[in-house]
Amino acid sequence: MALETALLVGVMFTVATYLILQRSFVRILFGFLILTNAANLFVLSMSGRPNGKSAPVVLEKGVPMVDPLPQALILTAIVIGFGVASYLVFLLYRLFLDRKTTNAAELYEEP
Amino acid sequence: MVTALITLFWGRPGVARRWLVSVSLVAQLAVGVGLVMATQPGRILVLGLGAWPAELGIVLVVDLLTAVMVTLTALVALVAQVYGFIETRWSSSHPLRIPLIQFLLTGIQLTYCTGDLFNLFVAFEIMLIASYALLTLEADDWDIKQAFPYVAVNLFGSALFICGCGLVYSLFGTLNFGGIARRVLEMERDGVVALVALLLLLVFGIKAGLFPLHLWLPNSYPTLPIPLLALFGGVLTKVGVYVIIRMLGTVLPHDLGILHDWLGGFALVTAVVGGVGAISRPFIRGILSFHIVSQVGLMLLAVSFMTPLGLASALMILWHNLVVKSSLFLIGGTAALLNRSDDLSRMGGLWSRVPWLGVLFLVQALSLAGIPPLSGFWGKYLVVRAGLEAGEYVLVAGSIGVSVLTLFSMVKIWLATFWSEPDGVVVRTNDPRWRSMAGVIAVLALVSLGMGLGAEGFSRLALEAANRVLDQEGYVRAVEQFLGKTGGVTP
Repeated sequence: MALETALLVGVMFTVATYLILQRSFVRILFGFLILTNAANLFVLSMSGRPNGKSAPVVLEKGVPMVDPLPQALILTAIVIGFGVASYLVFLLYRLFLDRKTTNAAELYEEP
Repeated sequence: MVTALITLFWGRPGVARRWLVSVSLVAQLAVGVGLVMATQPGRILVLGLGAWPAELGIVLVVDLLTAVMVTLTALVALVAQVYGFIETRWSSSHPLRIPLIQFLLTGIQLTYCTGDLFNLFVAFEIMLIASYALLTLEADDWDIKQAFPYVAVNLFGSALFICGCGLVYSLFGTLNFGGIARRVLEMERDGVVALVALLLLLVFGIKAGLFPLHLWLPNSYPTLPIPLLALFGGVLTKVGVYVIIRMLGTVLPHDLGILHDWLGGFALVTAVVGGVGAISRPFIRGILSFHIVSQVGLMLLAVSFMTPLGLASALMILWHNLVVKSSLFLIGGTAALLNRSDDLSRMGGLWSRVPWLGVLFLVQALSLAGIPPLSGFWGKYLVVRAGLEAGEYVLVAGSIGVSVLTLFSMVKIWLATFWSEPDGVVVRTNDPRWRSMAGVIAVLALVSLGMGLGAEGFSRLALEAANRVLDQEGYVRAVEQFLGKTGGVTP
C-alpha cells in the first residue's frame, strides 16, 4: 500500500505543479485543488505505525488500530483548504471581471 | 493568562466598534507586559487546551521570546489601528477591515504562543486567510493583480507545510514542540531530519520573504492602505522569522551544519537583493517594502550563526524592526498625506513646513540604517561581533555592506521628501489629521529611542531570550512537568 500511495502522491504533485504553471485560470485553480489533496494524501499515508512506535489508540484486547491523529489533521487541513479554494475562485473571478481574460500571462503584460 | 489573550480575540470580530477594539488591544498589550514579567526569571508557562494528554492535545507555551513578541506586536497593532482611525472617519472605512485585523492578530499571537506544529499550521492559516482578505478588501484593479502571486505562493507554502507536518509526525511520532525536541535529543542523526528541517525552512522562508522566495512581497505589500501596511510590513514577515528561530533553536537539532550555512548564504543574498531593490524604487512604500526583505535577510543571517550571541543579535534586530519598520510606514503615509502623493519626484518641502515629522523620520530612518546610539545600531553591532566570533567573515562583510545600502535609500527618501523644494508641490498642513498622526507615531519613535538608549538592558533581555530559546532541555523539561501535572503520558 505504501508504494502505491507514494506513487499516487508523486503523480498528483507532478500534475499539480504542471497545472499551476499553466496560463489558464481554470487550470491554475485545479492545480491548487490537486496540490492540497496531494498534501492531504501524503499526511494520510503517515497514519500507519509511526517509526516503530505503537499507535496511540489500542483496543481493549491489545489490537492496535490505525493512528487517528493524521486523520484529524487532514480533516482540519481539508476545511482550511476548502476555504482557501473558495477564496481563490473568487479572486480569479474578480481578475476575470477586471480584465476580461482568463490568461495569466496576458494579465501581467505591461499595458 | 494566555487564554485571556486568545479568547479576547475570538469574541471580538462580530463587534466592529472602534473603542472596543482599542480597549482590547490595550488589554492585550497589558497581558503581553505581564507575560514578559512572568517569564523574565526564566520560567516557561505552559497551558493545555482541552483535556487531552499533552502530547496529543494542543498546548500553548510562552517563554521570554514569545512574551516580548506578543507585547511588541500588540503595541504596533494598537498604534497602527489608532492611526487608521485618525486617517479615515468611521463612516467611510470598510466595515470588514477591523474584524479582519482582529483575525489577523489572533493568528499572529497564536503563532507566537503555540507549542504544537499542527496548531502552528492552523494559526498560520488564520493569519494568511485574514491577510488575503485584507489585501483584496479595498483593492482596485491593479492591486488585485498584485494579490494573486501573494495568494498563490502562500498556498503553495501551506501545502508544503502540511507535508512537513506529516513527515514530522511520522518521524517523531508527535507534533508537540517539546516532544519533538526530546526525541531529537535522543535520536541518532540522519539525513531525514535534515530533510524535514529543509522542508520547514522552505515553508517559513516563503512567509518571511527569504531569497529566492521573496518575489511576491515587494509588489503586493505597497497596495495596502497605510495602517494595514504598517501592520503587515512590521509584523507579518517577522512571524516567519520568529518561527524559523523557534524551529532551529528550540525544536530541531542544533548540528544541522550545512543547512545553517545555506541559510546564512541565502540570507545574505536576500539582504543584498532587498537593499538594491529598495534603491530602485521611486516611491516610499515601495522602498520600505524592499527594506523588509533586506532586514529579514539580516536577521536570518544572524540566526544562521547559531550561537547565543548571534541569536540574541537576531532578536534585537527583530524587535527593533517590529517597531521601527511600522513607524516608518506610518511616517511615509503621513508625508504622503501632506504631499498628496508618495511618489518621490512629486514630494518635497516637508522640512520647512513640518519639521517635527522630519525629526521623527530621521530618528527612525537612521535607527534602521544602524547609526549609534539608536536602536538599530546595537543589533547590527552584535551581528558583526557574533559573526566575527563564529568566523563568518564573508557574511559579516555583507551585512555591513547592506547597512550602507539601507542608509543610501533612507537618505534618498529624506532628500526627496524633506529637503527638496520643487515647484508646484503643495504641502497641505491645513489638514488637521497629520498632527495627531505624528503624535501616534511619536509613541513608536520613543519606544525605539528607548531601545537604543537603554541598549544595555535591551541586549541583556535579548541574550536572555536567546539562551532560553537555545535551551532545548529546559523547554522539554517545562513541557514534561506540565505533562506530569495533567497525568498525560505517551504510551
